[in-house]
Amino acid sequence: MKHTRYHAATALLALCAAPLPAQQLLAVRGATVHTATGAPISDATILVRDGRIAAVGRNVSVPAGALVIDATGKVIVPGFIDEHSHIGARPTDLNDRPMIIGPQHRIRDALDLEDPDWKDAVKGGVTSLTTGPGSGENVSGMAIVLKTFGSDLSKRILLEKGGMKFAMGPKRSDAYPATAMGVAANLRQYLIKTQEYVAAQKRWEDGGRQGAPPARDLGYDAMAEVLARKVRVRAHVHSATDVMTILRLKDEFGFDLTLHHSTEAYKVATEVAKRGVSAVVLPLGSRIGVTDDAMKGPFELWKAGVKIAMHTDHPVINQKWLRLSAGLAMRYGLPEDEALKAITINVAEIQGVADRVGSIAVGKDADFVVMNGPWYEPRTRVDLVVGDGAVIYDRSTEGK
Amino acid sequence: MRETSRFLATTVVTAVAIAFVASPLAAQERAIAIRGGTVVPMDGPAITNATVVMRGGKITAVGANVTIPAGATVVDARGKYVLPGLIDAMTSLGIGSGDLNEPADPVSPQLRVFEAFNPFGDFGSGTSGPLRLHELLGGGVTTMYIAPADAALIGGQGAVVKTAGDNLAAMSLRDPAAIDISLGEPPRKAASAKQRDPATRMAEVAMIRQALVRAQEYQRNKAQNPSLPRDLGQEALGKLLRREIPARIQANAPVDIRNALQLAAEFGFDLVIDGAANAKSQLAQLAARKVPVILGQVSHPYVSNEEIPDKSDYPAVDETLPATLTNAGVTTAIATFSRAFGSLAPSGSSKWLLLDAGIAAGYGMTEQQVLQAVTIIPARILGVQDRVGSLTVGKDADVIVLDGPPLSMKSWVERVYVGGELVHEKR
Repeated sequence: MKHTRYHAATALLALCAAPLPAQQLLAVRGATVHTATGAPISDATILVRDGRIAAVGRNVSVPAGALVIDATGKVIVPGFIDEHSHIGARPTDLNDRPMIIGPQHRIRDALDLEDPDWKDAVKGGVTSLTTGPGSGENVSGMAIVLKTFGSDLSKRILLEKGGMKFAMGPKRSDAYPATAMGVAANLRQYLIKTQEYVAAQKRWEDGGRQGAPPARDLGYDAMAEVLARKVRVRAHVHSATDVMTILRLKDEFGFDLTLHHSTEAYKVATEVAKRGVSAVVLPLGSRIGVTDDAMKGPFELWKAGVKIAMHTDHPVINQKWLRLSAGLAMRYGLPEDEALKAITINVAEIQGVADRVGSIAVGKDADFVVMNGPWYEPRTRVDLVVGDGAVIYDRSTEGK
Repeated sequence: MRETSRFLATTVVTAVAIAFVASPLAAQERAIAIRGGTVVPMDGPAITNATVVMRGGKITAVGANVTIPAGATVVDARGKYVLPGLIDAMTSLGIGSGDLNEPADPVSPQLRVFEAFNPFGDFGSGTSGPLRLHELLGGGVTTMYIAPADAALIGGQGAVVKTAGDNLAAMSLRDPAAIDISLGEPPRKAASAKQRDPATRMAEVAMIRQALVRAQEYQRNKAQNPSLPRDLGQEALGKLLRREIPARIQANAPVDIRNALQLAAEFGFDLVIDGAANAKSQLAQLAARKVPVILGQVSHPYVSNEEIPDKSDYPAVDETLPATLTNAGVTTAIATFSRAFGSLAPSGSSKWLLLDAGIAAGYGMTEQQVLQAVTIIPARILGVQDRVGSLTVGKDADVIVLDGPPLSMKSWVERVYVGGELVHEKR
């Protein structure tokens, strides 16, 4: 990576945790830019002002005083986004298993910002993601959507209530309920109790707040937001029958839903599509031995009209290899631009933060990745990562 | 892919013969020539517009100026890449989940993994087929090492097998091929959960040392007094002590790698380090003592079969490790440490071996080095280099044809030959 003002770039790196000074301008010039929402633009310039994209295109004039990075011959893509990760949580903090339904749990309360995995995520071009609790319980709690860089959590958060994790299907036999039937009944019962809880609250409100208010329960409070469609459900599903179960629950209770893992969702793709439900899909990179049929799942879902996103399930797959999950989907039929969307704009839309991230577009956060080859090839390297307009990773200064 | 024949009459006769006999042997009697591709033989540089000829299950010619025998089946490989079948130097594929770890005794050298090897089924998912590991074949893997999993200290005897064959005996390439040993967290944790030894690394090393001392005594006593009762475990360890087979020791933490080197020095056995996540800590030793290393997936080096990796055995992920070791002169193979297909969290899946090789190529390995690390190098480490690992005249006709550059995400293995028999075609 050639820096026209190399010393300035180095200085930027030292300051990488801090935002750029006001009116700081950065121009990255000469690369082929994949914006994730349109055709690739060759020999393009991206102009960044105050941490946001100010211009992108072939005929962008670079104002005097801008830091110019020459990226001729490189490929630029939006910062990658993972909708299903467990990064930043210690393994022992993922599942509060004795409490089989715990909507009041928040991954935010377990987040470890010192986890070295965050830095590795940035090296892989992943600039934002949803991290959440595990799948050991029927409901394990609230995920969070945030950036992968920066020391100030409040500035990193894109969406505090990033989705309520449900986990469908049979569990280990030492946890109860152990069967798919048991899980479905347990969830349905809890959702009904939440309806009753909400109704009791409403009766008290409507009755002029007479007497003591109904006792609050943080679990029902949290699930009430799911029923009010203020928080979406992220449902861990593998088998097609579990997909149908969560779709039935959605039909009954009307919550917003995204399928997660979705291993066999392709077998019921039309059922998923007709409800407008999105799917976070396999492949889980190179670590899970799924069959060729299942590897075609993302392609089949996309063909059926389902909005799809790839995921790593970090630490199941290392966070930095999110792009290869999309590459594998491409290998199994998904067009290249759709595969890129599945780790950028689609994910931002599913998360509900597409006004901030997910594509290289004027007004959005300047989160993008400079690579030395096609983004989906295993041997391609990430050369530079820009996050909130600052250089947050520069391979030329890393020594490997 | 287009097939032509030089002599129509021969084609008809042979086709009739195949139709009626349907014997793989019949197919092998006839030469097959894969013509016009970029041949990457591994025992030398890549050759463009070259031909590979196989007959009778063996490779009979490789090169740019090869005369195609009369009557040969000709496969047009123009624009394609022809490689030897890949070798995954560490897997437990074909072993049922209940057969991965024998819990009876953490020191069980008498166990033979080949007796749990079941290539008849589909391992829970995928296309089933008799004696064909289709998902593996689709990734181009034609030879693999199979081992017990890593919960026991001395897990048993591993084997080298082909991924296709007419019968189990035909699939076996070397059995036993090594004694499988684990150090570090997996055996310690498995034993601790059962309230028994080894609960610590101290006990791990002491128990292995005790087993090897007993084995030395057994060999000596048996030589002096052949009428002594036989002990199958001691016989297996005897092969190790006589250097007929090496020890494969899984060791990831620096202390475990050091302990493996120490045990090998004490007892004089040949050593191969598996996993080796912290191999940089012993780089000079490994190179000086010519101890080969079999690394886990570059993208995910955690070789133990856990969904959430135990970071106490592993440092931060270092994708430069294959290049660092190779360039320091350490014989280094890349393997997947795969468990069964369809299971929740195997360490890897052999069908993605080239994908991880591709990552290594982004981190300092040349393309030639990377491809050798999944072919000829594992063949040498496994002691089967006279049979497989390169497109060399006289070796087994284990050949794969890819439709594009081997390290590209877009490339597919189109054809797989094992022993000259076409055992897989891309659907």
